[in-house]
Amino acid sequence: MYMSVAELVDAAKTTKKPIYELMIEQEMETSKNSREEIIKTMGRNLDVMEAAVKKGAEGDGVFSTTGLTGGEAVKLRDYRKTGKTLSGDIMMQAVQNAISTNEVNSSMGVVCATPTAGSTGTLPGVIFTLRDRLNLTREQMVNFLFTAGAFGMVIANNAGIAGATGGCQAEVGSASAMGAAAAVEIAGGTPDQCSEALAMAISNLMGLVCDPVAGLVELPCVKRNAIGVGNAMIAADMALAGLTNKIPADEVIAAMDKVGKGLPKALRETGLGGLAATPTGIRMKEKIFGKASVKA
Amino acid sequence: MTVNYKSVFDIIGPIMIGPSSSHTAGACAIGRAANSIFKDKPTDIVIHYYESFAQTHKGHGTDYAIISGILGFEPDDSRVPYAIGLAQKQGINITFIEEPGDSPINHPNTAIIDLKNDSKQITVAGCSIGGGTIEIREIKMDGFDIKPKGPLPILLVQGGEDDHQNVTDQLANLTKVNDQKEYQSGKGNLYEYDLDRRLKAHEIDELVKNNNKLVYL
Repeated sequence: MYMSVAELVDAAKTTKKPIYELMIEQEMETSKNSREEIIKTMGRNLDVMEAAVKKGAEGDGVFSTTGLTGGEAVKLRDYRKTGKTLSGDIMMQAVQNAISTNEVNSSMGVVCATPTAGSTGTLPGVIFTLRDRLNLTREQMVNFLFTAGAFGMVIANNAGIAGATGGCQAEVGSASAMGAAAAVEIAGGTPDQCSEALAMAISNLMGLVCDPVAGLVELPCVKRNAIGVGNAMIAADMALAGLTNKIPADEVIAAMDKVGKGLPKALRETGLGGLAATPTGIRMKEKIFGKASVKA
Repeated sequence: MTVNYKSVFDIIGPIMIGPSSSHTAGACAIGRAANSIFKDKPTDIVIHYYESFAQTHKGHGTDYAIISGILGFEPDDSRVPYAIGLAQKQGINITFIEEPGDSPINHPNTAIIDLKNDSKQITVAGCSIGGGTIEIREIKMDGFDIKPKGPLPILLVQGGEDDHQNVTDQLANLTKVNDQKEYQSGKGNLYEYDLDRRLKAHEIDELVKNNNKLVYL
């Protein structure tokens, strides 16, 4: 099993195989399932992602039962039609895809957690935007997910991916890094560039706290996926342009783990700090769960 | 290093009903572990939440998720959000307790489940470590107090030395055993195997054929 980014990159260079191929081979070895079964399962995950990207941006959109989030992917869809977006349509399409997916998640719809449900929009945000940008086939999109998964496993086994232990950097930060690295590979970049993209993506979100209002995966989680996808695209482009992070990917992952462990409990998915502890955040919690839910 | 994430589908997946992989899908998985150990319909369910689970279970749908797991539902089952009502309709008493202290198994996403009916009682302490992946760190059943390292899959076998040897032989052909422990109670012996990979359904069936008190988590 590949336990570090360096091992993964070295193996890709030595064997001259793409990272997705190394991931499929590892999965066949560890699960004893056939290549066909493994690819089919990943295809189902892709289908669920595609359905969520669509669902949140159709008609009037979807809304959570609390009313805190929903209907904003639709606003982005309509805004894009004006052709006057400041960041350009590719970027806003990515943001729309991410927000749409997370709105479906907050409304208790079906999603594919990548790596977590709170960060579920980031990877679909990247992949369905690149599909249109690079005319990707379904096979290439499935391969993208294997590459993202290979890097995600290294992050998860070395640092963790739970907001409660590592903050949002471990969730949206990890998702963003996975998306950045996989985007580089699918765009024709080298294994080293994948590693640089991952390192830059995590470095840029280092220290991001997990502070959900009322403990709900809504505010600010939905829009954190917008920065997750934006950061992934930017980090991928920087790596493809030849920029490097200077601090190697594995050291960045170790640093993220340390930063996460150093975060106070209030900023690790307890809903007690950050935006959750603002006067408005507290009022929202009181309105949803009653005054007794907020201790003085 | 402990390898918790053994499959690419631990990272890309699971397919699930929102909103949280750790607090919803993971809670469902802890409930499913309790269901696999209890192997029966409980009359009473008591859930003790600690730390992040205690603070945010209401917002994350942890309550219905953990009950859905105890009922044996998968995390993407459309009945997941209605699990509490479905359990109550079957006459099951459900209590949720927000514990004020630190987690006794040392993780912020901790749930301890007590299940009982007229004939038996178990306690399962699990934690949800992210992305829907869980660890089971303590199990009390049939007079045994089992304390696994945490990562799944775990196989529990009750019986004598013969059973132990049979299972050990069968496993030798299937996967690496990362850790093995033996427990004793008034009711005999229990053997815990921490396995390197998940077993396939037909492999579990083969093991159960020889030992129907076997628990696979």
